[in-house]
Amino acid sequence: MTIITPTRTSGARGMSINMTEVPPEATMPPTELQALAPDAGVNPAFVSDLLSAFLAHEQCGVHLYRTVAGATANPMLEAKYRDFLGDTERHVEILTRVITQLGGDPQYVSPSARLVHAMNTHLIQGVVLAAGSADELPREMAMLEAVLLAETKDHADWSFLSALCDDLPDGPTREALSTAVEEVESEEDEHVEWARKTWQRMTMMQAKSSTMMKVTDFAEKAFATVKNAVTPS
Amino acid sequence: MFNPLDHTGMEIDDQLRNWKELNVEPYDKMSIHPYSRSRIILMNGIEVESILFSHQFARHTDNPDVKAKLALSRRIEAQQQKAINWLSPGDETPLETTIGYEQVAIDLTAWLARNEPDPYIKQTFEFGLLEDFDHLYRYANLYELINGARAEQLTQDLTEIMPGRPTAVEHRNPVDDLRRHYDRHTVDPLSRLHVLTLVAGEQQTMNYYMNHGPDFIEPIARGLYLEIAEIEEQHVTQYESLMDPLESWFEQLVHHEYNECYLYHSFMEEETDDRLKRLWELHLDMELGQLQVACELLRTYNGIDPEEILPPALPQPTKFQENKEYVRDVLASQIDLRTDGTDYVSVDDLGNDHRSMEYMRRVNEGGVPTEDVIDQARNDGGEYRRELLGPHPVESLRQPETV
Repeated sequence: MTIITPTRTSGARGMSINMTEVPPEATMPPTELQALAPDAGVNPAFVSDLLSAFLAHEQCGVHLYRTVAGATANPMLEAKYRDFLGDTERHVEILTRVITQLGGDPQYVSPSARLVHAMNTHLIQGVVLAAGSADELPREMAMLEAVLLAETKDHADWSFLSALCDDLPDGPTREALSTAVEEVESEEDEHVEWARKTWQRMTMMQAKSSTMMKVTDFAEKAFATVKNAVTPS
Repeated sequence: MFNPLDHTGMEIDDQLRNWKELNVEPYDKMSIHPYSRSRIILMNGIEVESILFSHQFARHTDNPDVKAKLALSRRIEAQQQKAINWLSPGDETPLETTIGYEQVAIDLTAWLARNEPDPYIKQTFEFGLLEDFDHLYRYANLYELINGARAEQLTQDLTEIMPGRPTAVEHRNPVDDLRRHYDRHTVDPLSRLHVLTLVAGEQQTMNYYMNHGPDFIEPIARGLYLEIAEIEEQHVTQYESLMDPLESWFEQLVHHEYNECYLYHSFMEEETDDRLKRLWELHLDMELGQLQVACELLRTYNGIDPEEILPPALPQPTKFQENKEYVRDVLASQIDLRTDGTDYVSVDDLGNDHRSMEYMRRVNEGGVPTEDVIDQARNDGGEYRRELLGPHPVESLRQPETV
């Protein structure tokens, strides 16, 4: 299992703000944040914070896919979750590379990144800790909804980076970001589209059923539908 | 180098003990080494915290698998707590146990502060240290008043007994007991263990005083426990607010189990009593098994590998040892420190109309039991102190006749 959570052991740095206290030796100096992407004409401190938050969301995505891949009773969903897990692990690597290329520190966990971690933690816990309140099928749907929500945010992050690239002057920053966007954006399109369509079709199938469906009744039909849920672009 | 993750420990299903195994032979209160008693008191508090945390987790969980695993581990923790706390002998009075608790509070907090890498957390420990130091002095005077006995028979002069920051001025508006918290990503692993340990220790002390205060007939004793129990609640508020609230339930569970491994491993190495050493070894083996369960829950339900959040090896061990000179240094330099929200300030900067000053006046306006006990001792042959390294380092706190 790949270790991706920034900690003191891995060299994580942060910033004391409001109620959060970071020891001096692990504090990110503001001057270092200001040094990000000097050729890009952007607010470097804000973009440092933002890229850290985007990276945090990808890291949490890895944790989400590991969790749902292990929890689903549907082999097709598991295969797709594991497929997307591999993609997301690579997206972590790509964002890590981009932050480094821009002169930033991928071990920096910004205040916004802490909030992203918090939201994602509650997203996962909301699904797994409520398992006793529902049968298997609603639990599958809840996991899929968690994926849909996470991928929607992920898609928004990469769409923003794509739009930002369009506004950047030619230079190393634009080149690094553009390369990353080209590597990732189509996969993010696929992820969110698959999650949206799969959720829609599985929900529709249940809505049209004359009786409350059980997992056993549902499985074969769902598998067949899900298999064709994403139209290859 | 000891990495708990490299050891599977005792299988959780093999950890259940019968009543005979749990109903252990108590120690001899006059011959036990004070720091062996300190380790017993602290590990009782650690096990109590593990039980209470697990109950809280279970109350926020509707996952039958998680609830079942928590219930099993919690039952074992409950047995571990009994095996430790039943070492306390029946002839040890609540007041004698209390003096043991305060010795723990002083020498544990002092050790943790001395070894704490984070300056803000270290400051918080030192701030609390001076308050617990004062409590020992007040209880020791009560001990002499109502039992006619001297506290050094219990502390064996490993800890000095004299005033700290006077308890009468420790009462603060609750807002001024809150502290800023560490960040789960940047916190030194040792700092997290220190905070978890101190929260458990202070919580145990709070629970003990709030439940045993009414055991006494003497009004002076009832008042003293009442007042100090309130400070212990302040301390729990203070120390628990250092913890990062954004850690997930599963991460917190792993950190609790890891801390138990850390402390049993620490105490196993330094314990001088052979019987206790074997108990710490047994409990370490059990905790290693419980850590495995917690780690599996973290993997399954958070998708996080425990190696992602735990250090590669246990940090330096926690030890009980003398801290007299260190405590004196902190007394000399920080006696006038107060808090303003989450910041530490001089009492001179606080102002008479500060919310904590108003709070203090309100609770103290009908008399102060922690002052009354000293007044009564002075009227009853003189107050009790054990100033072993010379006069009190703070001139205003020296005995009136020696100033």
